Amino acid sequence: MSSTTVTTANSAILATFDRTTSRWGRLTMIAALVMSLAAPFYLIVFADLGITSTQVWIAFLAVAAGFSFFWVVEPITYFPILGPAGMYQAFMIGNIANKLLPSALVAQATIGAKAGTKRGEFSALMAISGAAIVHVLFMLVFVGILGSWLVSIVPADVTAVARLYIFPSIIGAVVVQLVVTLKQPRVTLIAMGTAAFVYFVLVPSLPALANLATGITVIATASLAWFLRSKPRSALSS
Amino acid sequence: MKFSLPGDPDSTDILAIANVPVLWILAIGVFTAIILQTIVYVRAARVAAPAAGITSAELKTSFRAGAVAAIGPSLAVVLVSVALLGLFGTPAVLVRVGLVGSAATETASASIAATTMGAVLGDASYTQAVFAVAFMAMSLSGAMWMIATLVLTPILKRGDSRLRTVNPTLMAIIPAAALLGAFASLGMAELGKTPVHVLTVLVSAAVMGVCLLVAHLFKQSWLREWGLGFSIVIGLIVAYGAHTTGLPPVA
Repeated sequence: MSSTTVTTANSAILATFDRTTSRWGRLTMIAALVMSLAAPFYLIVFADLGITSTQVWIAFLAVAAGFSFFWVVEPITYFPILGPAGMYQAFMIGNIANKLLPSALVAQATIGAKAGTKRGEFSALMAISGAAIVHVLFMLVFVGILGSWLVSIVPADVTAVARLYIFPSIIGAVVVQLVVTLKQPRVTLIAMGTAAFVYFVLVPSLPALANLATGITVIATASLAWFLRSKPRSALSS
Repeated sequence: MKFSLPGDPDSTDILAIANVPVLWILAIGVFTAIILQTIVYVRAARVAAPAAGITSAELKTSFRAGAVAAIGPSLAVVLVSVALLGLFGTPAVLVRVGLVGSAATETASASIAATTMGAVLGDASYTQAVFAVAFMAMSLSGAMWMIATLVLTPILKRGDSRLRTVNPTLMAIIPAAALLGAFASLGMAELGKTPVHVLTVLVSAAVMGVCLLVAHLFKQSWLREWGLGFSIVIGLIVAYGAHTTGLPPVA
């Protein structure tokens, strides 16, 4: 068999692999998408909570004002690392940066495969699959079963306090983690200054803007960070 | 099967509607979709392995390496998820925090959504109606991530270079600025609440700072993954102490 026929046979096999993973990757992701939306939809329609569609739209638009940017940027950022098949895995399993990427890198290092090659892509796909199975089992057993049991035996006042202060106990840590990992002191100062201005000056004087506070801070921080960026000296002198 | 629920828009008993069987079934459905996808992928990879220049032993090694590497981070996510069970109920935590999203983005979305209803997560204003709207808003936001993935992946696969030739300086600054802006804004909002909220934010920030410093100084990278879990646990313990011993709960 000549090397040309081997290459042709190989590319046919890889094309089949591509088709299978794309088709099933998309189908399973759409199924997860529909089921994840059906859950809150069910509560709103059947639980008789008197929720109007306007309330839902306002809440969604307020969230979108803060996060819509990441909906588009994250898939574009992760595509070169994950490859097409991995994209459908990663954005369904979640926790990409803190779990899936490290798993893929460890696996590639273990078998000596380089990222960007077919070997690397397959190794990453298997690693993410291994990570997915571990994660699904842990979530079902430790959160679904043991966690629910734990909540049922913990005294009500402890649960009430946990519920009241869980968000502040997350947000403080997340901000510090972002500041440290992004290592952009100038942008950090701009973000803190803008957020403080929006919350302690803008919203108190114009309470109607409260819903948009996060969106305004995101847009203002991004614009200020862009216009106040450090410009290379050569660009200034030329 | 009974479809109507004994919902009460003004009740703060979130778990009465958050843990109903239909939500459990849908959560298990999402888990099933992931398991099915994994099985299809692994089988497809086995068939195509020789063409990709990788042996089946190496596939197995990769699978095992990925699984072992995920144990620590997964347990860290478990800890954070358990702490959130009282706020969202088990099915919503399993799907939103455990899978699709992350603790940071989902609680952030919920907090923003609650604000639009004039409510604060977890206090007396956090009613079943607020929970349902917050759950819907974070699910819609999570859905947008998946829709973007479904739309963009085929375009990126065709090698559409327009999407990738974005100005690199722009890509170095704007995403970081947007992330910092979003979370700085939500952190600042907490500082405007009760003294116990302020204390909790500061303790959580300090614990994460210590975790990252120790991780850096002593090369303990596992602390990076566990930092959020530790910050939450210690933050909540301090909040419990302050709340029950009488820092004024001005809500």
